[in-house]
Amino acid sequence: MNLGISIIWGRYKKIIVAFILIVLLFALGGIVVPNFLTVEQVLFTLKLASFTALFALCQMLVIAAGGGGLDLSVGYAATLTAVLTASVMDGQNANLMAAILIALVLGSAIGLANGALASFLNLPPLVVTMAMANILQGIVNAYTAGRNITGRPSPILAIVAAKSTGGFPNILFILLAITILVMVVLNKTKWGTILFGVGSNETTAYLSGINVKVVRCFAFVVSGILASLTGLLLIGNMGIAFKDMASNYVMPSIAAVVVGGVSMSGGDGNFVGVILGAVFLQALTNLLIAFGLGDAGKWLVFGIVLYVLLSFYASNRRSR
Amino acid sequence: MMNKNNNSSKFSLSNYVFNPEFSSLLILIVMFIITAILQEKFFTLKSIVRNINAFAPLILLSMGAAVVIISGGIDLSAGAALSLFTCVLTTVMKKSDPITGVYALLVTFAVAILVGIVNGIGIGYLRIPPVIVTFATSYMWLGIGLFLRPTPGGESVEWFRIFYNPGMIEGISPSIKQFGSMIPPALILILIACFIWWVISKTKTGRYIYAVGSNNDSAYASGINTAKVQMQACIINSIFIFLAALFFVGQNQSGDARMGDPLTLRAIASAIVGGVALSGGKGSVYFALVGALILSFVNKIIFFANISTAYQTLVSGLIVIIAIAAPVAYTLYSKE
Repeated sequence: MNLGISIIWGRYKKIIVAFILIVLLFALGGIVVPNFLTVEQVLFTLKLASFTALFALCQMLVIAAGGGGLDLSVGYAATLTAVLTASVMDGQNANLMAAILIALVLGSAIGLANGALASFLNLPPLVVTMAMANILQGIVNAYTAGRNITGRPSPILAIVAAKSTGGFPNILFILLAITILVMVVLNKTKWGTILFGVGSNETTAYLSGINVKVVRCFAFVVSGILASLTGLLLIGNMGIAFKDMASNYVMPSIAAVVVGGVSMSGGDGNFVGVILGAVFLQALTNLLIAFGLGDAGKWLVFGIVLYVLLSFYASNRRSR
Repeated sequence: MMNKNNNSSKFSLSNYVFNPEFSSLLILIVMFIITAILQEKFFTLKSIVRNINAFAPLILLSMGAAVVIISGGIDLSAGAALSLFTCVLTTVMKKSDPITGVYALLVTFAVAILVGIVNGIGIGYLRIPPVIVTFATSYMWLGIGLFLRPTPGGESVEWFRIFYNPGMIEGISPSIKQFGSMIPPALILILIACFIWWVISKTKTGRYIYAVGSNNDSAYASGINTAKVQMQACIINSIFIFLAALFFVGQNQSGDARMGDPLTLRAIASAIVGGVALSGGKGSVYFALVGALILSFVNKIIFFANISTAYQTLVSGLIVIIAIAAPVAYTLYSKE
């Protein structure tokens, strides 16, 4: 009995801590700020966090594959997809399939470029994806220069991403479905084993016949596709596309992965933890806004909380 | 002995081409020639001074980024720190009282050291992944900056223009004005940064920075205080950013809590284009300067070639990829 608890604690320590922190944040908000701890508020926080969580999923897959993996281009891939598909969809459901097709093609092309440069040419993923982010933002800038971004998301997309059924945001159903899918694929199929194997020990993976480069490249491709699809959801939620609609998600997505208890050195990944990380960041932001600290206080406290949190459980003070 | 000498003096092109520093220098020369062709009066004193002024902040930040990257870290808070320093400078200074400029220099220098220490504790002592800890600190600097300067503004003493253009100060002796128009203060700030690094690279600390960056564990095992070395690298970076802040306040006479943000990633990209390896321990701080010049010339060329500025980010992204991929691709190609 005791052993069982200690195993669960050892394995899910960070996730449990993240969950407790979220509960504490909401409790604190409920005490100090009136109307903070209502069902609508909690659901609203979850809805906002779900976009960060989706970007963090891209991030988690790339980080899990190891080799210093990181994808700074996720937000920009989403922006480009949203801007391009806005005019294609033009508010018509009939054009949704075309938009999804564009997102898939664009996402896999971006991911393939990232993956080829990062894993086959062995260039640092941070720089490659940073440059890719520049290129994508450059394309958006060039595309939107001197004209308005026209077009609206198709109604179905708007319902999926922005509307609620019975007070429950629809995007959370999507997130739930994706969570189940990701958990099954990563934990119950050999795909997960291969991904984590490559991330935790490149040499062993190579010696057991796995093509490390292909796996890492594939992680980037999946990341690109997911990021583009998230871009579709974002335009569905916002109703319009604009130049820097998703670039602000990039760094929080990395933070969510770390707060969610995933090691930056690769080899593990738990999407439930990552979602909790995203919810934590969103709840913290909302709480600081609700406190009425203003921009200065909000960012200062956000930075300090993140720093302190990281020093407790992202720090790598192993005994050496 | 003879043999060794023979080997090192033997000229072989491939030895140089494989070197990322060589390709960055080559790209810079090409950029330089294109700019010289496109821009009329490129070689006039006025245009050279103007170019140095335009390039200086990125050069200073990229040198700082190079020091941190060589030590095995990375600094995503550089731009926010730069903004914070301009805010501190313009808050301490009162336009009417020249002596406040001295106080501002001292206070901001202390803040710069503190910023380096906080980053260094996170990277070195707590061993948090640098990408994520400096992301957290960037919000702290932004928050403090906004607290001091909610909107861009503030005041600066008149003599602070000495960090930008001494010719603009009233009642200064003509010989200094003459000197200032020949040798821009921005160049002196860059030379100060180079000199600081030159001195450090001659000391133990300089060698330790390379040792810690190339292999943290073996550096630790051979008795180096790795955490302290990484913190020192962060402090050096902070001092270089401080120099850039002096230039900015000299130029604009105001502070802005958000102005530095776009420079962060450009500085890192410059260091990488200049041949500094992101894995740490390899590269030259002076070549980060070359990388910064390349990225700056790209923007100039786009401007003078009458290409829409909308393409600026696109082209600089491509240049970064070409600059880092070219040596690797060439190596792979020649192996086959």
